Amino acid sequence: MKGLLQKDFRLMVKQSSFFSTIGFVAVIFASVVKDTSFIISYLTFIGFMFTLSTINYDEFDNGNAFLFSLPITRRGYVMEKYGFGLIMGGVCWLFGTLIALISGQVRGTNSIQDTLGIALVFFPVMLLILEMMIPFQLKFGGEKGRIAAIVMAGIVFIVFLGAAKIAETMHVDLNGLLNRLETMDERVLGVLVAAVSVAGLLLSGRISVSIMEKKEF
Amino acid sequence: MLKIEHLKKTYDNFSLDCSMEVQPGCVTGLVGQNGAGKSTTFKAILGLIKMDGGKVTILGKDIKEFTVKDRQKLGVVLSDSGFSGYLDVKDVVSVLGNLYETFDPLFFRKQAQKFGLPMNKKIKEFSTGMKAKLKVLAAISHRAKLLVLDEPTVGLDVVARDELLEGLRDFMEEEEDRSILISSHISSDLETLCDDLYMIHEGRIILHEDTDVLLSDYALLKVNESQYAALDKQHILRQKKENFGYCCLTNQRQYYLENYPKIAIEKGTVDEVITMMIRGVEK
Repeated sequence: MKGLLQKDFRLMVKQSSFFSTIGFVAVIFASVVKDTSFIISYLTFIGFMFTLSTINYDEFDNGNAFLFSLPITRRGYVMEKYGFGLIMGGVCWLFGTLIALISGQVRGTNSIQDTLGIALVFFPVMLLILEMMIPFQLKFGGEKGRIAAIVMAGIVFIVFLGAAKIAETMHVDLNGLLNRLETMDERVLGVLVAAVSVAGLLLSGRISVSIMEKKEF
Repeated sequence: MLKIEHLKKTYDNFSLDCSMEVQPGCVTGLVGQNGAGKSTTFKAILGLIKMDGGKVTILGKDIKEFTVKDRQKLGVVLSDSGFSGYLDVKDVVSVLGNLYETFDPLFFRKQAQKFGLPMNKKIKEFSTGMKAKLKVLAAISHRAKLLVLDEPTVGLDVVARDELLEGLRDFMEEEEDRSILISSHISSDLETLCDDLYMIHEGRIILHEDTDVLLSDYALLKVNESQYAALDKQHILRQKKENFGYCCLTNQRQYYLENYPKIAIEKGTVDEVITMMIRGVEK
């Protein structure tokens, strides 16, 4: 796995101009936009999405055939992709939180507590998006993977909408449920979101391994 | 070293059923037309595609039980796949160093210099020849026991091909139990490098012969109608109708030289044997 991480980090370093642009955009946002929490979600999302771009690099020019002839396993490959995503997402999240904190303090727009609270919510939410996208990317590859993920997100939305309608006809008070979530202790809510995120990570990882093990190159 | 027993793979318009063996200390060639099943065989050996049946044993171990550690003993070149073009050779050194415990960076750098591979240039900017050299170099720089090389010399000029083949000979000389399985369209490469050759056609092995025997005992007999009628056909493997009469492939050149001094007998080359084995008909 060390070799694969090495490869992905080196591929990423080659995109230094992309990094500079992202950093520049983040700093501009921090000095212009009032709600600095956007910087955290923006940078964390970009960080997580780097792992998808490395999957694209691996597939380019039938590169996977050679890659999987090297001393790696398909399971190891999947684990590396999630690991790389977590490292990149984590680093970008820290960077984004730092910028948001500094900007919030200098401009007096957000308190430290507010910014940290938002940052702690954004990380698992962005992680959930990554967890959803990696299996699609592995199954369908580049462009098709993104389209499939968007379609899937639409289906999930429709399912939720349908479930809400059914709940309404069965006289289940969804608004009350949501209100209870809002008034729930922040720490409990945090643990709940983190638990969903970790469960999602395990499920997504399992699906990805099964996709990769069926793939032929 | 490598044993393939009835390796089966079926696609819509193609089915493979291949058996072959690579002995320790030997270079074995796999030849055949495009689409004959060479790459499918290589991919199955490497676990890149699922087998529909049969058994592949590498270094005494079933491919299904092959571990990451076992894979370190293999060196692989694939004709249509390699390192990401966005990496440079320096990156490749670092990646290989982390993947193979026995990777020799000094050897790699020395050979890269010898092959004229720039360390800081992106691979996608390399010429076809440079890419091919890098692939072979990556395969031979971690003290592998078995090299699996699918068309390693494709797109190379004569000098570059010679350099690569020299590198492979050096690889074989370093340790006596090393082996190579190689496929190539360039039969002269195989004639000079391989100890034995397998010929594959439409997914089946149609010939297996020691290269020395193939070059010394195989021959083409060019005969007219009357000579053909009088010919002892027990050693004729394939025959083909030509304008002048018949062209016949034999693996008993000496027999026909001694018994039919008046007929035209040409020494067999790998290309000619392939052509006759595929286009000719069994007598």
